[in-house]
Amino acid sequence: MVTVKPEREGLAGVRSILQHIYGIFMNRINWRIFASFFGTFLASVWFAAATASPPPLLQEISDADLIRQYRERCEYVIDQEIEVTDPEDTSRGSFFTIAANLRRQTNLEWASKRLVAANQPPSGAMFWMHPMVLLMQCGRETLSDEDWAFIRELWRTYFPYRGDTENHWIMYYVSIYLAAEMFPEADGEAWYNGKSSVENMAEAKEYIKDWIRITTSYGQGEYDSPNYIEEYTRPMALLAGWAQDPELRQLGKMMMDYVLLDYVVESLGGLYGGAHSRLYPRYLLQPSLTAGAAHGWLFFNQGSFRRNSGNTLIALSGYTPPPILFRIAHGRDEAYVHKELKRTRWRLRNAGGDPRAFEVDEKTTTPVFKYSYVHPDFILGSSQGGLLQPIQQQTWSLIWREDDPSGKSNTMFGIQPYSSPHEGTMYFPADWDTVTDLIARSKVDYDSEDKLEGGSPYEQVFQYESTLIALYDIPEDARFPLIHTLFSRDLEERVEDDSGWIFAKGGPVYMAYYPLAPGEWKEVDWTGLLKGGAGGWFSTNFEELAAGSQSLVSRYLKNGYVVQVAPAGDFDSYASFKQAVRALPLEVEREPTPFVSFQTLSGVKLEVRYGEALEIDGKRMDYSDWKLFDGPFAQAERESQTLEIRYGSERYFLDFENQRTETSIVGEL
Amino acid sequence: MKVFLVWSVRSVTTFWRRVLTIRWSGGLSQSPLPLKCGRKGREEQLAPPHRVGIALDEKFHRWTVAFGILLLSFTNISLAEEKNALFVAFAMTKEQESSPLPTDSGIFLRKSIDSDWQRIGPVIQQMASFATDPNNLNTLFIACGNGIVRSTDGGATWRMTTGWRESDVNKVVVDPENGRNVYASSVWGISASYDGGETWQTANRGLRKRFSRSIMVDSRNPKRLLVGTEDGIYESRDRARSWRPVRSSPKIVVLRMDRSQADPDLWIAGTEGKGVYLSRNDGRRWESAAPDLKEANIYGVTADPHNEQSLAAGGWAVGVWVSSDTGKTWQQTESKLPSPNVMAMTFDANVPGRLWASTFEEGTYYTDDGGKSWQDGDLYGAYVWDLGFVKIAKENG
Repeated sequence: MVTVKPEREGLAGVRSILQHIYGIFMNRINWRIFASFFGTFLASVWFAAATASPPPLLQEISDADLIRQYRERCEYVIDQEIEVTDPEDTSRGSFFTIAANLRRQTNLEWASKRLVAANQPPSGAMFWMHPMVLLMQCGRETLSDEDWAFIRELWRTYFPYRGDTENHWIMYYVSIYLAAEMFPEADGEAWYNGKSSVENMAEAKEYIKDWIRITTSYGQGEYDSPNYIEEYTRPMALLAGWAQDPELRQLGKMMMDYVLLDYVVESLGGLYGGAHSRLYPRYLLQPSLTAGAAHGWLFFNQGSFRRNSGNTLIALSGYTPPPILFRIAHGRDEAYVHKELKRTRWRLRNAGGDPRAFEVDEKTTTPVFKYSYVHPDFILGSSQGGLLQPIQQQTWSLIWREDDPSGKSNTMFGIQPYSSPHEGTMYFPADWDTVTDLIARSKVDYDSEDKLEGGSPYEQVFQYESTLIALYDIPEDARFPLIHTLFSRDLEERVEDDSGWIFAKGGPVYMAYYPLAPGEWKEVDWTGLLKGGAGGWFSTNFEELAAGSQSLVSRYLKNGYVVQVAPAGDFDSYASFKQAVRALPLEVEREPTPFVSFQTLSGVKLEVRYGEALEIDGKRMDYSDWKLFDGPFAQAERESQTLEIRYGSERYFLDFENQRTETSIVGEL
Repeated sequence: MKVFLVWSVRSVTTFWRRVLTIRWSGGLSQSPLPLKCGRKGREEQLAPPHRVGIALDEKFHRWTVAFGILLLSFTNISLAEEKNALFVAFAMTKEQESSPLPTDSGIFLRKSIDSDWQRIGPVIQQMASFATDPNNLNTLFIACGNGIVRSTDGGATWRMTTGWRESDVNKVVVDPENGRNVYASSVWGISASYDGGETWQTANRGLRKRFSRSIMVDSRNPKRLLVGTEDGIYESRDRARSWRPVRSSPKIVVLRMDRSQADPDLWIAGTEGKGVYLSRNDGRRWESAAPDLKEANIYGVTADPHNEQSLAAGGWAVGVWVSSDTGKTWQQTESKLPSPNVMAMTFDANVPGRLWASTFEEGTYYTDDGGKSWQDGDLYGAYVWDLGFVKIAKENG
């Protein structure tokens, strides 16, 4: 016998009272809407004023206050999710909005109707599954028997695809685990895949634990994505908030801490800096639009509120980040180098020829060596280049601080536009002749020369502190034989100096760029692909986002550039910065392969030739002992399944193998 | 005596027909709606209906037939109860705009030339192939992105029998003599089941590269399998427990393989970038064939089960090529398909000489005259992953 409702009785009486009250309000709908808007306005003004006031000194804020303020932001997120509900319109409203209403026991009649309307028919696979689980958990006490019967039928008949990315799989398995856990006695007939709840939970738990083992041993494959961070925080928050299995609940909480640490040590005022596995073009141009930035506001009160479904889920889950992460987000007065070891997505084929490739459980991957220089005013970060991720890789980037980054394109990055079936079939099961076309059906700029994201086998990037060198050796028959670098509209006083350097100012940062070969200035998206609306949602407002920004396009095959960044505060004036850079010893070659020898502003001599390792004052950069996390705020050895988070004398240790955490205080370093 | 025997035969066959009919009910016709994907306004030029199944010679003695049927019914070898049906695994990608999701995906069966395509199994994205167990036609397998989905009741219910370690399965095949042995090839390598698909284990021992698109069981020696990998063709002689490379195989991606049922020594393989390869000694030695296709990506290869001389191959930008002399010479078909991009091919198991070809998003077609003319087989807009014939119960046809 399969129970219709999950194991916990609903509060039918409370629900009927609320429905009665709701009915009374329905008779005064105009007043209700007016009151709603006015209330929202007042709440927004209050909240903006409260969050805009200067924060107290970090050491003056107690952990209790940090948690209280975080919980207030969570409640605000839920308030805002409910505010978009139009109880008269059952044709609109996400599962997240339904869930928020169920939690607060508001608009219940609408929620029930919307639940049905939004599933005609169900679609979206794991993007259907995880908000459905959220809805079910939030509606434990409020969904009616009819609602539960409808939901059970959906789980019985809708057969979701497991997906083809790391985030797809973790969302899929967390969702089926939690759904099955609500009906632990259900047999195979209750579920789309014919497996019983016990079988589904066992399989899902095994996968979730394996994903955690791989991630904490070799690095995440879909690493550090300002867009896709929420595709990991959502399922982990679901586990942390609702898993009844104590092991998974604990692991969910620990992985939330882990993912947020991974983000916060490379964030600047909430904006995710450094090299990224995946990023959509509109978010490349405006970092404040990303899910990462939305998380920055929720978790660390950085930036400004923006509606974000991941934040809604997290707010509803009850997850609370450890206060040490807040301190890391805010208490960084000194610049630091932070290194990370990640890995490429699993490679199905074409993996040969890479000497660094290795296998984990018969799946092939390659290490990604991340290097970030995190300064209070900017982050310059990079990976080594090459084909590390399909389609949306950002190999290096610079972001700088803006008082209000909204609407700002406070970023710089370079790219060798590359697309090929070689890359496509490396990561996707489609055929050689169809894969590029099929990728471009959704990521429309993949096969365009003016695209803003993607890796290239002809690109090698080297970094030491605030200096970056990128070298290119592009074959003549390359799909797009060119490189280009973004110079955003928010870079001021850009000048092309007689010395060959291009200088610019971005916020409180000076930037110098030395191209190895001439180029020409073109407007961003010069083919007009995204401005024309191709790509659907990710080219929304693209013309506005790209307007005024330019790309420096160079069609020389043996090519490269040097980027030197410095805080404006280190110099008396912009002129003195330029003078200092002009005086730096610089030697470049393009033949037979690109070569740079450069003495940085900090006096270190960097020397590198394409295909060889970077030499720093004559010593080769060593990748052999690259740690999973290596910086002042985080330490983790490869294959350790641990992470030590540090702030001052405070230590927070995560041990995933034994599912335990430990907080301690050590002597000042 | 004569009357008694005829009565006996009729009773027994009726009994088995009823049993099989019950077991099939709600099965293959799970989704009875015909697939509407042909181009509007196109007149289908259907060939006359063809007889399928065992054609009986009218001069054949009635007593012999009756005795044979009686024997078959008692031994549960249901030759008289099965037929070959055309299956297709596809994703509808043509209308896919600003989305990674096809507009439809699934396994469809076409049980006769004058019937519509009918969906079988659940709707899941990234369907790759389909197989039935020749030993028990109620057991069906779907190879798909999620792994293996199996039905043991003729398609009435389905169960995903693989776990999280198996995914992106391209092909599933069943031991023709023992349905407990089931094998699957995927982008991650080979998986084997020795309990009828209930549980699975990885079976990559000996494979230097695991990506594989095709796998075949040697019907004369079911312990032997051949698999097409990223590293060429590999052979197993112990039911996939270990593999070794076939030395003469090109060390390139082998996309498809087929074997002639008319001449079991004749095998054909399609490769990525190196055209067609043939083996005339039962897969032991392979050599390049069809010089005009030697740089092509060949996605469709097929051997005519009714004619040991007849082979066909097709691929990207090259259309369909046929050979009527066991691969010694090849000719491009006279009549061109709407697209030169061929993704899958099969000779018809029921109609001698009939050849099916699926193009990339421009429909599936068949020819009864060696490619002088093509008839519309629907599926416009589909990216066909696999096309072939499987045995199904005749009652369902």
